[in-house]
Amino acid sequence: MSRRLRDRILDPPEHVLAWALLAPALLLVLAVVAWPVARLFANSVMDVRLSQGLPVRFVGLDNYAAVLADPLFWRSVRNTMVIVIATVPGALVVGLALALLANLPFRTRGPIRLALLLPWATPLAFTGLIFAWFFHSEYGLVNDLLARVGAGPRIWFNSPGLTLAAICMATIWKTSSFMALILLAGLQTIPASLYEAAEVDGASRWTQFREITLPMLVPSMLVALIFRTLTAIQSFDIPVSMPGPGEETATLAMYIQQQAVDYLDLGYGSALAVFMFALSMAITSVYLRYVRGGGR
Amino acid sequence: MKAPGTALRWLAAAIVLANGCFPALWILATSFKSEVELTARPITYWPRDPVIANYVAAFRDQPLPTYLLNSAAVALLSMALSLTIASLAAYAIARLELPRRRLVLTGIVAVSMFPLVTLMVPLFDIMRGLGLLNTYWALVFPYAVLSLPVCTLVLVSFFQEIPRDLENAAMIDGCTRVGALFRVVVPLAAPGVFTAGTLAFVNSWDEFLLALSMNSAVAYRTLPVGIQMYQGEFSFPWPTISAALVIGMVPVVIVILLFQERVVSGLTAGGLKG
Repeated sequence: MSRRLRDRILDPPEHVLAWALLAPALLLVLAVVAWPVARLFANSVMDVRLSQGLPVRFVGLDNYAAVLADPLFWRSVRNTMVIVIATVPGALVVGLALALLANLPFRTRGPIRLALLLPWATPLAFTGLIFAWFFHSEYGLVNDLLARVGAGPRIWFNSPGLTLAAICMATIWKTSSFMALILLAGLQTIPASLYEAAEVDGASRWTQFREITLPMLVPSMLVALIFRTLTAIQSFDIPVSMPGPGEETATLAMYIQQQAVDYLDLGYGSALAVFMFALSMAITSVYLRYVRGGGR
Repeated sequence: MKAPGTALRWLAAAIVLANGCFPALWILATSFKSEVELTARPITYWPRDPVIANYVAAFRDQPLPTYLLNSAAVALLSMALSLTIASLAAYAIARLELPRRRLVLTGIVAVSMFPLVTLMVPLFDIMRGLGLLNTYWALVFPYAVLSLPVCTLVLVSFFQEIPRDLENAAMIDGCTRVGALFRVVVPLAAPGVFTAGTLAFVNSWDEFLLALSMNSAVAYRTLPVGIQMYQGEFSFPWPTISAALVIGMVPVVIVILLFQERVVSGLTAGGLKG
């Protein structure tokens, strides 16, 4: 190879080099996201029951119609919505409280930071098991504490309602510390001069919180809330690790996994997954509209 | 704001520490309790007679070293893949003349918001067709994509802070641009590479849905999946599960002890996932 040719290959014009450097990332995204998504939509209008060994055939919108008529689908949507409605605001409130506490002027920040990172780094599946043990009907800590305040023991995992409550508590614990880290970063960008000025004006602490802290935190809260909502609609690890009676507390993600992987019904599983896709696209579009609206 | 009193600060610290550490400590205590102590009423809070039998059982009842090895292999391979691809992309975004830079950035954020559950169904189908179920690759490629957005965004912010002069000097000395990237920019952005790498590692180490769906064979199970296998149909050997959980937490605790400041800065810079 001549030296000039070698130099041209190793030192191409800038925009060519830019796209060449982006190419591996684009290829990976095409192979692992774009192609599978095309396959998902294709499968969703097919009858693909691998366990039956039947030939794959086109069925139009039959899978979608079957989903809408499926009470188990609606049950899983309801369970998922319960988790979203309880844990998204729950994690925000707990996360805000943790962030405000962690933002006090401590001499060493290390231990506080570790205490906020530990729940974030604990795998979700571990969190589910740990909380399942907390809520154990006979030897669990929660029933022991209830007994100490004179309340009777609950058999948590015998009732769908109580199981969902336990799942929500585990989820809030696991996700609130990430929320706290984001909000803490937001808190630290608020200039101290704002508080000093308010102090001079004789504003109470509560007024300072309501008039300075909260409004200044809105951008970081919105971003954290969107991402929390997107992960909450996909709740899987914790509900799987904390099973209630039968499959009463199955979430949409659990139902999709069961249909596609356990029963190998890829047509129906794909149609279900398309609903999940639509749900998260709706949430994402709200986010993108907000970002384009110049928030942040 | 007026500095609150010492007592209030101690109380605040106690609340934050208890919230973060209590579940891990409770599992640690449980892992040292004997079966007899565990089923005594009222329950004990601190093990009266610490035993290590549960740790022995954790290794006896399930192939725990295999699970740990699989998790480590998948996490490290996907981290390496993600970091390599992300540093190339981040360099293009941070440094080069790139038409449609905004579109590229929007695309990255969009990928990060894509629901994994939706992706799992066709990926399972594809991996099954390619005969890749129960291999490391069934997880390495998806995990690399999972971490690609956050790695790219973190690396972009670090690359932007490296003075261009250093790079230009390297190129005057005869380095090509790509050479300058790997000899000058990446080493100088080492903190950013560590930050992105840590986030990628933890993402993969924690992942459960794909691991459960793709790799169900014992030899390829990762830790979060394997740890669910201690339970029988009617039995929950809690002391053994607790011991296994403690062992599984060790790598995570080491990572956050070593890289805590970087992780926090990376999480808030990337502002992604949770």
